[in-house]
Amino acid sequence: MRILALVTEAFGGRGGIAQYNRDLIEALASGPAPAKVEVLPRLAPDPPGGLPERVRQHPAAFSRPLYALRGLLLAWRLRPDLVFCGHLYMAPLAAIAARLTRARLAVQLHGIEAWAVPPAAQRRAVESADLVLCVSRDTRRRVLAWSGLAPERVVVLPNTVGEAFTPGEAAPMRARLGLAGESVLLSVGRLDARERYKGHDKVIALLPRLIQARGPLVYVVVGDGADRPRLEALARDAGVAAHVRFLGQAPANDLPGLYRAADVFVLPSAGEGFGIVYLEAMACGTPAVGLAAGGALDALGDGDLGAAVEQEALGETILAALAAPRGERARHDLAQRTRDRFGGSAFRDLARAILKRAA
Amino acid sequence: MCGVNGIYAYHYAASPPSEAELLATRDHMRARGPDGEGVWWRQDRRVGFGHRRLAIIDLSERAAQPMLSDDGRLAITFNGEIYNFPELKAELEAQGRRFRTSSDTEALLHLYELYGQEMVHRLRGMFAFAIWDEAREGLFLARDPYGIKPFYTANDGWTFRFASQVKALLAGGKVSRDPEPAGVVGFHLWGSVPAPFTMYREIRALPAGHTQWIDRLGPREPRAYVNLSAILAEGARAPAARADVSGIIRQGVLDSVRAHLLADVEVGVFLSAGIDSGALLGLMRDAGQRDIRAITLAFEEFYGTDEDEAPLAAKVAQAYGARHVVRRVSKREFQEDLPDILASMDQPSIDGVNTWFVAKAAREAGLKVALSGIGGDELFAGYPSFQDIPRWVSWLGPTRALPGLGAVLRRLGGALAPGLKQRLPKALGMVEYGGSYPGAYLLRRGLYLPSDLEALLDADLVREGLRRLKPLRTLAGCMTPDPHTPVGRVVALESTNYLRHQLLRDADWAGMAHSIEIRTPLVDIELLRRMAPVVPLLSSRDGKRELANAPSLPLPAEIVERSKTGFGVPTGEWTAGETGQPPAVLAKGASSRAWARELMQRRVAAIDPAA
Repeated sequence: MRILALVTEAFGGRGGIAQYNRDLIEALASGPAPAKVEVLPRLAPDPPGGLPERVRQHPAAFSRPLYALRGLLLAWRLRPDLVFCGHLYMAPLAAIAARLTRARLAVQLHGIEAWAVPPAAQRRAVESADLVLCVSRDTRRRVLAWSGLAPERVVVLPNTVGEAFTPGEAAPMRARLGLAGESVLLSVGRLDARERYKGHDKVIALLPRLIQARGPLVYVVVGDGADRPRLEALARDAGVAAHVRFLGQAPANDLPGLYRAADVFVLPSAGEGFGIVYLEAMACGTPAVGLAAGGALDALGDGDLGAAVEQEALGETILAALAAPRGERARHDLAQRTRDRFGGSAFRDLARAILKRAA
Repeated sequence: MCGVNGIYAYHYAASPPSEAELLATRDHMRARGPDGEGVWWRQDRRVGFGHRRLAIIDLSERAAQPMLSDDGRLAITFNGEIYNFPELKAELEAQGRRFRTSSDTEALLHLYELYGQEMVHRLRGMFAFAIWDEAREGLFLARDPYGIKPFYTANDGWTFRFASQVKALLAGGKVSRDPEPAGVVGFHLWGSVPAPFTMYREIRALPAGHTQWIDRLGPREPRAYVNLSAILAEGARAPAARADVSGIIRQGVLDSVRAHLLADVEVGVFLSAGIDSGALLGLMRDAGQRDIRAITLAFEEFYGTDEDEAPLAAKVAQAYGARHVVRRVSKREFQEDLPDILASMDQPSIDGVNTWFVAKAAREAGLKVALSGIGGDELFAGYPSFQDIPRWVSWLGPTRALPGLGAVLRRLGGALAPGLKQRLPKALGMVEYGGSYPGAYLLRRGLYLPSDLEALLDADLVREGLRRLKPLRTLAGCMTPDPHTPVGRVVALESTNYLRHQLLRDADWAGMAHSIEIRTPLVDIELLRRMAPVVPLLSSRDGKRELANAPSLPLPAEIVERSKTGFGVPTGEWTAGETGQPPAVLAKGASSRAWARELMQRRVAAIDPAA
């Protein structure tokens, strides 16, 4: 099987979508009947590194007309069995490429980009797809709200969690951050002013109450963005500035250590497409708390893995999570259950089978 | 006849299903099956079936469901009746299959083992069933060719659920209540919700005559295994000789009635003063049933008037030696029952009130099973549509050469004669729609035309609904391949729309609410196959007459004559009365439209408290 992957970013890209694309492409290019995958990204800020066997990534083309031209030429030359479109915005191009080469079309939809009714050309392109992959049930539900697609063509393929996220020592990272015996709450996520739904502000507002109930407590915020000044001001106004540590963006290598250093991971976000950070935290054995809203319900396993609650119950839930015994065994047990449910092998298996079925 | 449901957590990431949900869905359908209940879980508890039983064939506990195959590799939950079960059983036993029960359920398991999914071609009956196939690790669903038995599914992307009723799926608490614009718009167009849509986006009907396969990759798109239009088209290619018509009809309907009498409990009949049910009664007698109870619904308001069906029905009952039970209903009883009617109505429907009361009467008489003449007008060209639609198409077909003309005339008419738009909204759409079979059918059957909907509903909702519904394209699909003859096309349109979405669905909810199994010998795939070469020769005059003459003792001439003018049914006025408008000023179409609007408003309060 030959696959043309039109993606925003994959190898050498940053963030959740790039990670997802890499996982998917690696899955398709391996296994019992591996596909040959040619990838055309719009962005590749970092060096792509060693590509998996049978995967070829073409140089990134940011300019839209150039990207479209190269996409079509590549399709014409490659004659793929399947065109994989990694983002809603590229769906019209991918649909043309698929029609031009009589290939099947699979479109990946992640989160908020697919929430509102898209422009007509994108909507028609998605509706012409043989398969639409969604990261969560919530994204799928929203896609079915604006598209006339047969529900059977819209399939959930959740995020998976990387091998690096495992339970381990909390002490090294705690020492690095100068933390002693305090309780540690952690959030990981962009502080984008347009993405205020992530809910950092809700945690900050709860801090006085949490400190009163628990004693010494630090809220560690990993991630950066334009919303940071507002959040810092909020912390000052609430008199908890000393309890909030804005670390900015953390290198990928530091993330497992940060999760391990935390007592509870919390992200009361109302707008996650899926919320891979919950998975990463729980795979490191750290209990996760989120809202019962959007894609987070999937990552939190409907409340079986992490707590998925209404906003009013957030404070109680964080306190309960902080108070719960968390020995090594409990951490390993949570990590194991998370990996059993969202591990790579089930992801690869479903990705291969479902795309093979579509092609 | 029962209630079935199930949950399959097919996705690797799905949460394990809960027994509480399975039971809540199952027990919402208590009225469908008051005689027993059962549950089955796969060992890993990721697949569960529920069943509520109305025992009709093999009343013993052995035949309880869900039922497993001998080797435990198949599990089934089944709603319906397989009328060719005796033949199938004999055939299977001849092939060395051993039966533990004398139930048709067990035959389905044997057939699946032998023929896999192709088994559906062997079945004559009404059915909706699910089989868990352990060897292939998947779930197989099938629904009968006409869609007599309901089957609804919901897929949230992780977990697949099914049940006999929409409201039962909702009762489980895990299925989204997000509204489906195509369901809302479809209800306003037709007076019933057109499959596969329901009022809820996540819930779909498994279409009639379709199967579906679900495994760890999720549900596949439903697959059609039978096409009514193709059967009619084939019949038209080799039409019967005119001299053979009466014989074919007689043998066909007698055979179907005989098959529909299969039961280990008494089978009665719903008897009106019309041809369809009268002929059924005569044929029951021809099939050898001696002691027959016939239930007639009559209305207090009509007592002693020409509109009263009871005296004529009594004559038919007497002619065929049936025990006649007349049940009179008054407006007061209707008003008393209305809350129950609305609660039992699984999806909004502007009809079904008559069936509610006749089923209620059957239950009071102690019956569990009754034959109904539903489908006679569809198969024997009894409706005015069989005259109107071909005539409109031949007159107005040429106007299609000028696209846009119809819309212009509609707007012009609306502007020049606003009164007409109020009283006869569809008349203005005559030229726009009347030139094609799908358009003319929409004119004939529709409550409203698509262009009228924006006055009733939110404009975005209408646009989205119509975009998904594609009414004209869907209707064109109902007569593909082309049945070739005008009567064949109308048979196809009526059988796949009004019959399926309105009459059969109403018969299901209204019958099941009283734990009555309604059987429909004139809605039978075997009968359709036999009739297909005859259909091109039928006219709307002689079709019903042939049916009246099918019993060895033909229906009294009086019945045939009187049936031409028809009888009044006050339920239209009763429902119109509920809408707060004086019934006298409402013509039938207008009262249906008013009732449809009323239902939508009440749905919020009564049918669906959580909506």
